[in-house]
Amino acid sequence: MTTGKELVLKALEDLGVRYVFGYTGGAIMPIFDEMERRKCFTFIMARHEQGAAFMAQGISRASQSTADPQIGVCMATSGPGAMNLVTAVADAMMDSVPLLAVTGQVATGVIATDAFQESDVVGVMMPLTKQTYMPLAADRIEETLHEAIYVAMTGRGGPVLVDIPKDVQTQAVSDGYRFDPSAFQPELPGFYYSPAPEREAVRRAVALINQSERPIVLCGHGVVSRSAGEDLRIFAEKARIPIGFTLHGLSALPVDHPLSLGMVGMHGTVEANRALLHADLILSLGMRFDDRVTGKLETFAPNAKVIHVEIDPSEIDKNVSTMVALNADVGEVLRLLARDPQITSQPRRAWFESIEAFRRETAAEVEEEIAAGVGREGRLLMKYIVRRLSEVTAGKDIIVSDVGQHQMILARFYNFQTPNSWFTSGGAGTMGCALPMAVGVKLARPGERVWAVMGDGGFQMNLQELGTVMEYQIDIKIVLLNNGYLGMVRQWQTLFYDGRYAGTPLKSPDFGLIAQAYGIPYRRVTDTDEVGEALRQAVDHPGAFMLELRCDPSEIVLPMVPAGGGIADMIVSKKQIGESK
Amino acid sequence: MSSNGQPKRRAILAFVLNRSGVLNKISMLIRRKMYNVETLTVCATLQPGISRLTLTLREANDAKALQVVKQLEKMTEVISARELDIDQSFWREVAIVKFEGDNNLLAALDQRFPMEILDRRERGLCVAQIAGTSKRIDDFIAAIGKEKVVEVARSGFTAMEM
Ligand SMILES: Cc1ncc(C[n+]2csc(CCOP(=O)(O)OP(=O)(O)O)c2C)c(N)n1
Ligand SMILES: [Mg+2]
Repeated sequence: MTTGKELVLKALEDLGVRYVFGYTGGAIMPIFDEMERRKCFTFIMARHEQGAAFMAQGISRASQSTADPQIGVCMATSGPGAMNLVTAVADAMMDSVPLLAVTGQVATGVIATDAFQESDVVGVMMPLTKQTYMPLAADRIEETLHEAIYVAMTGRGGPVLVDIPKDVQTQAVSDGYRFDPSAFQPELPGFYYSPAPEREAVRRAVALINQSERPIVLCGHGVVSRSAGEDLRIFAEKARIPIGFTLHGLSALPVDHPLSLGMVGMHGTVEANRALLHADLILSLGMRFDDRVTGKLETFAPNAKVIHVEIDPSEIDKNVSTMVALNADVGEVLRLLARDPQITSQPRRAWFESIEAFRRETAAEVEEEIAAGVGREGRLLMKYIVRRLSEVTAGKDIIVSDVGQHQMILARFYNFQTPNSWFTSGGAGTMGCALPMAVGVKLARPGERVWAVMGDGGFQMNLQELGTVMEYQIDIKIVLLNNGYLGMVRQWQTLFYDGRYAGTPLKSPDFGLIAQAYGIPYRRVTDTDEVGEALRQAVDHPGAFMLELRCDPSEIVLPMVPAGGGIADMIVSKKQIGESK
Repeated sequence: MSSNGQPKRRAILAFVLNRSGVLNKISMLIRRKMYNVETLTVCATLQPGISRLTLTLREANDAKALQVVKQLEKMTEVISARELDIDQSFWREVAIVKFEGDNNLLAALDQRFPMEILDRRERGLCVAQIAGTSKRIDDFIAAIGKEKVVEVARSGFTAMEM
């Protein structure tokens, strides 16, 4: 007799899942046991459930642009196991990453009795996911998983949770149970998804684009996940529109393209942010006007009309009012725009001249810093390291970043060349994401080189996953930018809290010994001369390699739009903040 | 886009799949997004498995009200949601009122209001039911007099467009 646990695995198999990341425990044991018997996919044991969920995210994020998009799957036991997933599931929600979390639950007979390791997982996950499920009979399992994955991957991506009581896992299906995966259609009458844009709206958008004198494209995550960077390039070159990128829009197309302005927002480039301020038209593509992008809304892009292309209708007119709303798949819209003969090519000479002036504003100061390579305390500058990394990799390698100063500096200075090659926690900004996420990314794209770049703070939030790297021989290059501080918070303390460093200095262990304990070759770098060579050593080493670079705590990520301020309040130069601090 | 002044009272009507957790999700949404919801009622529809949900709230800003609709529609269980045109819709509630009333009061109320006495005990304790607009119910309670009212149960609004 077929049982629930078998159907869990059959459904995942039918849905093309290849990796499952997880951690066992009482309430999920039946499914794990069945997995061991079937050996239908590769099981990767993380060292903490949060790690498993970030690894699963890595699969989804990295494969979405490939011919074979996969959904990342993580599994955990009830109670504490499920609770350890929460942070990474919330993170997936904020970053629109498809993810399936399967958790074991205590048996139906004891649910609601505060049984051992019982938590209300569905209740906790409900506001953090696209949908939650608890199948209460083996007969419901297959349809539940098929619907769950459909919901996770359709339209704007996001996480879903399936919580399966232990007795349902072992229950036999009823006589005559039948399920045809190829014929299955979820019954969701209200869950609509409109990939095709309305012609009339496209026509109005094109008219606005043709009329505009100072247009800018805001390229968001949607362009990357729909692999629409090439169409964006064709369209933008034809219409002659400069492009600013959101954090997750980076790597949609080469960031050194002549029309590229780099990243916009709180730590965006001078040129991207100034262009936003002066623009008369914003064409925003697959993005959601996050506050890290807009700064104070009242003063955001005061002169611009807005065309908003977005798959999630609830994002349209949420933060910024639009002139033309295109609730559609951004990939489809760009396919149309790239080929629309109505788009006229305009020189927009004055606009590009202003942009060149914005570019020059701080370029010399930045180049001077990079040439020096070290900061006030004589230690390495992260921007110097990232410049060298761009050279060593030619900008082609995949970068997985943690959260902090190093993340913003990568976003600003890494020379992204490969589509969908930049993965980080954006919406949630979850420290500790990078090491486990890089594991998933490497498994999804085994033919590419993957760098996991982290701060000393974030690395220590999930460093147990070195165990996973070791056990499964995951070939990732780990770059630890150690500045002895929770650098990004320190930066705010420098700028806004009179330099009182509350809770930001941290003592770290000997990272060389830690790497050694996990059998991972390691090198510490303190001198500018060594950086390029050390990076190349990591490249040349077959297998995981760890570099620790000693960084200068005084480095400040600029430009910076102060929290609560508008883009016009952007601090662009070190001279504005007084070098004395 | 936003109108100024007194937050406008609005009714949003939604049809939802009658699945476990839907109401939970909607109330979580209300809390999470800090919507100023006043009443929320749910009932079955003629179509099995589908419930009708009426939500009233105070919101001055049209765009914010539209956000509520969009956030509701985002849920996989919500089939459709929209704001009702206030001039083209009926909003009604039911109230059950327990109060101390003598014959004179009851006669006077009966003259003015389409109420129904559900029960009456010695010492003049009455339970009456009245349905109508919220104004009618307010007036009814005022006509009884605050000092005589013991308990009021109001259903919250249900609404329908013409
Ligand atoms: C889980 C979590 N806790 C706290 C924060 C707040 N936070 C943001 S950046 C940061 C500092 C990160 O320090 P580190 O990892 O050393 O990177 P650096 O900024 O020094 O490059 C902190 C504490 C966060 N983003 N995530
Ligand atoms: Mg640090």
